[in-house]
Amino acid sequence: MVESTVQALRRISLFADLSDDALIRIARVARSQTYVPGEVITIRGEPCRAAYFIAEGQVRVYRLSPGGREQVLVQLGPGQAFNMVPLFKPHGANHATVEALTPVTLYAITCKDLHRLVGECPELALALLRDFASRLDHLTNLVEDLSLRTVRGRLARFLLEHGETNAITRRWTQEEIAAHLGTVRDMVGRTLRAFADAGLVRMDRQRIVLLDREGLEAEAQR
Amino acid sequence: MEGWALPEINLQQCNQCGACVEQCPTGAVEMGPEGPFIARPSDCTYCALCETLCPQGAITCPYEIVWGTDGP
Ligand code: SF4
Ligand code: SF4
Repeated sequence: MVESTVQALRRISLFADLSDDALIRIARVARSQTYVPGEVITIRGEPCRAAYFIAEGQVRVYRLSPGGREQVLVQLGPGQAFNMVPLFKPHGANHATVEALTPVTLYAITCKDLHRLVGECPELALALLRDFASRLDHLTNLVEDLSLRTVRGRLARFLLEHGETNAITRRWTQEEIAAHLGTVRDMVGRTLRAFADAGLVRMDRQRIVLLDREGLEAEAQR
Repeated sequence: MEGWALPEINLQQCNQCGACVEQCPTGAVEMGPEGPFIARPSDCTYCALCETLCPQGAITCPYEIVWGTDGP
């Protein structure tokens, strides 16, 4: 039982580099849970009881706007974790509502257990700190970008950073690009059309073809 | 140039609400026994409206970002 949990936990990116000893400790307290599509896993604003680590399936993380509109923040899949931040705050509350999109299997670790593990197991503490540091890094860059650059500038920089020459390593939906830039899909679509009109890019059916490096670099400075 | 790209529909996430079938501007989507599919690929303009309106997040219209002057 613990053995198979250890196998599954190793596939969680946060735990990938941990020793067997650490994983066994985690496996002893990780509870496996399954959800059917549409089932709610956490509710925004409720007291945070546990952190969750997805073994299989997809979940959708969302908030409701004041008008009651659902705003999807992100979709997460195998290997990813959620509810980590409120877990380390005194009396933390869930940041968002999380719902299963597909059949989901995940591991839940309660606040109490995770706090104890962090005390017992420095390598887990370090792995968590690394994860928090990289998120903080991303947010710091995003805040700088939001305050210093227009969406045009951010998109130009994003395209320069992600333009590929040989093998295609990943594909992006406009929604994902928007989430990355801290804006909304409509703005990404509109800005891409503006870039196309200016001859900086060409929109093929399923490709954004970058045409003018200098022009994009100039945009990225804005 | 690879094949004609189409929106990807993840039937595991789809609840067959029919929004994509009703609202595709070119009528390219139809409901089959297992769920929606792009019945008229050549009519699909890859406008990504279906991606926006699917309440389940089941449809995606991904893009490659490439450098190039590689043909039309
Ligand atoms: S809009 Fe989405 S959930 Fe509704 S039928 Fe189409 S793919 Fe399925
Ligand atoms: S991308 Fe546009 S044209 Fe193609 S199926 Fe979706 S809504 Fe219809």
